Amino acid sequence: MKYAEPETVEEGISLLAATEGARCLAGGVSLVAMMHAGQLAPEMLVSLHRIQELSAITENGEGLWLGAMVRHRTVAADTRLGGALEVVRGAAEQLAHPAIRNMATIGGSVALADPCTDLPGALVAASARVEIAGPGGRRLIPVEQLFVDRFRTCLARGELVTRLFLPRGTRGAVGHHLRFSRVSGDYPTVSISLVLAMRGDTCQEARVAVGSCGPVPLHLTEADQRLVGTRLGELEVAEAGRLLAQAAAPIDDVRGSAEYRRLLIPRLLGRALSLAREHTHG
Amino acid sequence: MADEIPLSLMINGTTRALTVAPERTLLDVLREDLRATGTRRGCDQGSCGACMVLVDGEPVFSCLSLAVTLRGRAITTIEGVDAGGELHPVQRALVEHGAVQCGFCMSGIVLTAKALLERNPHPTVEEIRHALGSNVCRCSGYVKVVEAIASLGKRPGEKASSEERS
Ligand SMILES: Cc1cc2nc3c(=O)[nH]c(=O)nc-3n(C[C@H](O)[C@H](O)[C@H](O)COP(=O)(O)OP(=O)(O)OC[C@H]3O[C@@H](n4cnc5c(N)ncnc54)[C@H](O)[C@@H]3O)c2cc1C
Ligand code: FES
Ligand code: FES
Repeated sequence: MKYAEPETVEEGISLLAATEGARCLAGGVSLVAMMHAGQLAPEMLVSLHRIQELSAITENGEGLWLGAMVRHRTVAADTRLGGALEVVRGAAEQLAHPAIRNMATIGGSVALADPCTDLPGALVAASARVEIAGPGGRRLIPVEQLFVDRFRTCLARGELVTRLFLPRGTRGAVGHHLRFSRVSGDYPTVSISLVLAMRGDTCQEARVAVGSCGPVPLHLTEADQRLVGTRLGELEVAEAGRLLAQAAAPIDDVRGSAEYRRLLIPRLLGRALSLAREHTHG
Repeated sequence: MADEIPLSLMINGTTRALTVAPERTLLDVLREDLRATGTRRGCDQGSCGACMVLVDGEPVFSCLSLAVTLRGRAITTIEGVDAGGELHPVQRALVEHGAVQCGFCMSGIVLTAKALLERNPHPTVEEIRHALGSNVCRCSGYVKVVEAIASLGKRPGEKASSEERS
């Protein structure tokens, strides 16, 4: 196996483009675990550690840019991720164990595209955008378009994730990430990520994403629309939950059967909405 | 871009010159090349914490860290925590509280606890449990382990840990 430590994104791109089967190495948490398990044997690792640009966090009027190499632990501690962006901060804070959060990165999480992890759903709920750099330059796409299938992204050969943009969203909006796992620290059986804005008692805006219930985070405009304009009464919440459960394509695994996951979706949605709502009034 | 990479690592304050293949982890290098077997191999998947070391003072799974990425970082293993042959306070507390059974998990736990106490000298039981989330022990119920660590964080005059009651 070959190994390189480029210092710029452009250098990284040419290494990735030049070698068939080359992979980026970020925190290495999933990559190395998969190499140990014999699921992956890259021809070349392109370490992103020395590319300073990828560790930057910058802020502007509209939101926050998080470099791909920013670790979960840093995301979890960043108080600028408030309001709607709390959904991303909360997901980073709750996922896995302290030592995993200390090593793994946000870019690694999106590029891995593991549907059973927390961050993809949280980023979809937050309407995040991903900047991708490749031989043809840079592009910015909604994070939803990045996730193509289980462990598959739309990244082409020679491309890498450079940073994520998190828009601050509607004034007064709040975000919440709720995960249900068998024991704390385990991958979630189901996770609900949402952003909610209220005007008085009426829901002005809702964006819900469900994790661990399909090949990519589940986001359904119809379900969001069931909530908007309502007082988030039991009926509307149940109806939105039913639509999501219907559209979900969960699998059976050790963390829960598909049927159990479907049952959990509306319950967790109700809980996540009321927790978020408490913050809108708090 | 060679297959074997010359490299020096700063381990427990000493610089070690090595040549390693890029896919080799710090755990491999410690145990196989340096014969420092205090760092244990449990799952090789980031699930058990037996392989925990400190990198720049923070807990890191050595089984998931490629050695080549650790140039210039300060690595602390269990072999480096004692002070002049004296047990580290965390080790002493674990012994005094009878918190150890087979001991397999303990190098990882000692390092995780050391990092916690350095960052937060008076952790609550909740904070200790949280920090130990990455460390699995198959023998004990964690109660004595948590008590031992909590005893080090007690402020003068504070009562014994409330772990049994919580
Ligand atoms: C025991 C364990 C428990 C976990 N539990 C959870 C959990 O509960 N919830 C959760 O959300 N996650 C969990 N994770 C996953 C963890 O968040 C991932 O390991 C992490 O998201 C991957 O980040 P990394 O920086 O380590 O990426 P790496 O392992 O370095 O890389 C992952 C993949 O992404 C590619 N890649 C990395 N960065 C880039 C980039 N910038 N551009 C293009 N490609 C890139 C790599 O080539 C590789 O294919 C767990 C992992 C482990 C090992
Ligand atoms: S051996 Fe590294 S976490 Fe289990
Ligand atoms: S004492 Fe035996 S595994 Fe912890």
